[in-house]
Amino acid sequence: MAGQSFTRRRVIALLALTSLILVTLDLRDSGITNGLRDAFAVMFRPIESATRVITNPIRSTWNGIVNYDDVAEENRRLKDLVARQEGATIANIAGIREAQELLALNGLPTLAGIESCTAQVVGSTPSNFSQTVEINRGRTCGIRVGMPVLNAAGLIGKVTEVYNDRAVVMLITDPAYSLSVKVVNTPPTTTAAPGRGSTVETTTTLSTTTTSTTTTTIYIEGFQPGATVATSPPTAPPTLPDGKPVTPNTSPLTVPPGADLPLRETGALEGRGLNRLPIVRFIENQPRFGEIAVGSPVISAGGATSLAPPDIVVGTVARVVNRSGNLGPILEVTVAANLENLNFVRILLYQPTTERIAP
Amino acid sequence: MIERIVAIAENAYTRLFLIALLFLALQTTILNELRPFDVSLEIMVLLAASVGLARGSEVGAIAGFMIGLMYDMVLTTPLGLGAAVFGIVGYLAGSVHSFVHEPTWWSRVLLGAGASGVGMVLMAGAIALVGTDGIFTTKVLTIALVVAVFNAVFSLPTERLCRWAMVKEKAVR
Repeated sequence: MAGQSFTRRRVIALLALTSLILVTLDLRDSGITNGLRDAFAVMFRPIESATRVITNPIRSTWNGIVNYDDVAEENRRLKDLVARQEGATIANIAGIREAQELLALNGLPTLAGIESCTAQVVGSTPSNFSQTVEINRGRTCGIRVGMPVLNAAGLIGKVTEVYNDRAVVMLITDPAYSLSVKVVNTPPTTTAAPGRGSTVETTTTLSTTTTSTTTTTIYIEGFQPGATVATSPPTAPPTLPDGKPVTPNTSPLTVPPGADLPLRETGALEGRGLNRLPIVRFIENQPRFGEIAVGSPVISAGGATSLAPPDIVVGTVARVVNRSGNLGPILEVTVAANLENLNFVRILLYQPTTERIAP
Repeated sequence: MIERIVAIAENAYTRLFLIALLFLALQTTILNELRPFDVSLEIMVLLAASVGLARGSEVGAIAGFMIGLMYDMVLTTPLGLGAAVFGIVGYLAGSVHSFVHEPTWWSRVLLGAGASGVGMVLMAGAIALVGTDGIFTTKVLTIALVVAVFNAVFSLPTERLCRWAMVKEKAVR
């Protein structure tokens, strides 16, 4: 009996050592652990699929009991939202096409030039300590580790594991996720000489948040910011919001909207997991950039080593935490995509250089 | 050949492996979606604790390691981390149980729930230990509490299942 106990203790010590070796191998991205996971997945998937089918009635009953009111309310809200968005979409498509043409004309990378693969979310993480979802496309669709994943609203995460017909996507709220982003700030307020300026009240609606900002733009005779002005005077002269007529311009040039140009600053987006908003660090405290407004859009920065191509919508600034001295602020970001209700997603077949495996 | 297959099928750990597969399938499907208080219920840790309660600390540690390793296969956490944590949970459940003189049904329920809660805290600690930030927050306490309460409900049937699965081979024959 004592001998058996001694043997078991040796087994326990061996198991502790094994787990230590496995953790080390996995953290060093060993092929052995990936192979083990792949083999287990092949064996386990049929059992999981069968269980999913069998337990579906229980799941539906639970959702009916717990989520019915929320779903009905969401349905009403979404119908309103769809009605509002339909008009805006047409205008946006035209704008996006123009922007892509301009980027292509200048030899800059655009999302339109990147192939993509559409997949459906088939499950989420069973753990409380990581934020991942599983999608029903994998290697056969061209998906590789590191590729960015987005849905109609914006970026949702990156691919972390790939099987033949499945892949695991780490969401941007996961504590292990980090991405280089740009914060597009509204320009700082400019003061104009009395009687020479016009105050414009603008209201921006961003998903669920409505912000109201007041900006003052300088009116310069003969210039109309952001507009192509014809050489011949228009039949009906344009007017300012206060009703005063705008002096016609005789210049044939397109004048860039100078002070209205949005200012950009880069930082690093980090997930914080467990129902906490991701944050953006390393924003420089520059006077030119001014106070960052709540609701300012946050988009991917791109670049040679970035995990995602540029200009993918990530979300909006939800809160600005100012810090003392030269330390820039920390921004809490409301993610544009609803990560709790993911269905169809798009995987950009763009593999960052940092995630490529050397041949 | 057939005798050998039968012998493998009769092995206690083979039975436990099959039960763990079933539990894992439930964990990744239905329990993954029923999230009371926004917490994913964890029955894999209950299984590890139940083996410890049913068959003592040493068997609990070995079975916990096996169950944890299976759970690691479907998670994105480093392979072997869950195995180590569940091994500890199985060992602790078995050790504490051995101190209870004539355990009653409610003491077994309490131990199952307690081991599950401790397992969740240990898991968060282990993930933080391998370098992931933002895990060890007050939310961990909520997770531990919800998981403990849920697992308390299923503690007795799971322990009975483990007692059946881990019965000594001679008794089966």
